[in-house]
Amino acid sequence: MVHLSSFLLKNYHGGYVVIRLALAGHKQANRPFYRIVAAYNKRARDSKYIEQLGTYDPLPNIYNEKLVSFNFDRIKYWIGCGAHPTQSAAKLLGLAGFFPLHPMTITVAERQRAQTLQAETSTAEEDMREQSQKEADV
Amino acid sequence: MAALGAARCLFRSHSRVKHVQKSKHMLVKCGARTLCSGTKDTDDAKPQFTDPSVQDILTRITGLDLQKVFRPIKQELKPPTYKLMTDEQLEQATELATEQAKKLLKMPPVLQERKPIYDVLSVDKILAGTDTAKYVFTDITYNIPHRERFIVVRETDGTLRKANWEERDRLIQVYFPKEGRKLTAPLIFKEENLKMVFSQDRHEDVLDLCLVQFEPDSSEYIRVHAATYEDLDKHGKYELLRSTRHFGGMAWYLLNACRVDGLLVDMLKKELLQDAVSLVSLFHMVHPHSESAQEAANQQATGTDLLKMECGLQQRGMQQVSILTVWVVVNMLLGLKESCTEQPDWRLMYSTKMH
Repeated sequence: MVHLSSFLLKNYHGGYVVIRLALAGHKQANRPFYRIVAAYNKRARDSKYIEQLGTYDPLPNIYNEKLVSFNFDRIKYWIGCGAHPTQSAAKLLGLAGFFPLHPMTITVAERQRAQTLQAETSTAEEDMREQSQKEADV
Repeated sequence: MAALGAARCLFRSHSRVKHVQKSKHMLVKCGARTLCSGTKDTDDAKPQFTDPSVQDILTRITGLDLQKVFRPIKQELKPPTYKLMTDEQLEQATELATEQAKKLLKMPPVLQERKPIYDVLSVDKILAGTDTAKYVFTDITYNIPHRERFIVVRETDGTLRKANWEERDRLIQVYFPKEGRKLTAPLIFKEENLKMVFSQDRHEDVLDLCLVQFEPDSSEYIRVHAATYEDLDKHGKYELLRSTRHFGGMAWYLLNACRVDGLLVDMLKKELLQDAVSLVSLFHMVHPHSESAQEAANQQATGTDLLKMECGLQQRGMQQVSILTVWVVVNMLLGLKESCTEQPDWRLMYSTKMH
């Protein structure tokens, strides 16, 4: 039995269900904690959702792990009902292995790698220049 | 008549005691090996802990001391309730109590140590260096058993692997907390602290804590249990575990290590002949190729004859001093039962021999 969203929302406003990260514990500053949630698209990010599907803690713990939990059974159900995951939710699912890797993950990784390479080569060039200058001085 | 026979045995054993004292150290090792030689049978033929016959024997030797099972544990302070009962009602209440005690005395499982997990699901070198921390993904679906749950780690170098057992236990405790279990193991399970606790005779508490904290097939659980049983065996404090659920596990461990001598001596001292007999028969079931088992099969000995033969064999093997005196004690007790005459002062002789 497919979940029937509110008729008005769907037909008049063109609303749909999304799987996204909602910030939890908004009274705590500097300590983010996300809930992975199935909610209507038009709702505010942190307000009433349809169902909670998991959690994501972006700060690493003492074992240097970022804990993510997914209720795969319910995620499969909502995707079957036509829910769209947001970019960050899709990235997390890609890292988990449930989805294929998100193209932006790969793009960001490649860009980072290119940047580090460039930084390395530029520092190497600077070192070379310094060395040649010193030799010239001497 | 019986007293003469007993005195003869005593004289014989006394002469041998002197020789045994000197060669005890060398021969104890040989003795243990001869008893356990030839135990290279396959796991299929060997009786397992879960076999109904084995479980039956272990429950019998555990005993059922209602006073000890239902002794007051640390609880909220409530005033005691008193009930006025007839004799019949008291009997029914005791029966109910015995059933409840049997449930409480259910033995915790004894399993092989679990094999480590090395599964790698995918290797993505592209992601190497993108993040400084690993991601751990847990499946929170409610209806699946914890053993089948998917817990997966994406490392910093991009490999996606299954989490190993320690990570699994910790994360399952985070998302599905079990009462009494902590995320990090309590410090009591470290070696030094275990020694201290054992000196305070609190083996049972340690084993209960261990049962709550660890999975039965984890290496920590097996290590703590082995340490506890070793300590009990070394000091001979079998009485601490006598009517608890851990007694069967201890007996099984000692059987597999072929070190039932201490336990047997303790049982005979407490005059639990039936328990001693069942222990010996269990030993023959678990080690069917040992010397004593083969002798028993040849002679088809049962009951107290089995005990006498077992002690006799060990005497021939010239093992520990204690077994010799046990043989004496057994003969004395049997002699007593036959004659039922005046009390000989064998207790005096026995106590002098033991120390």
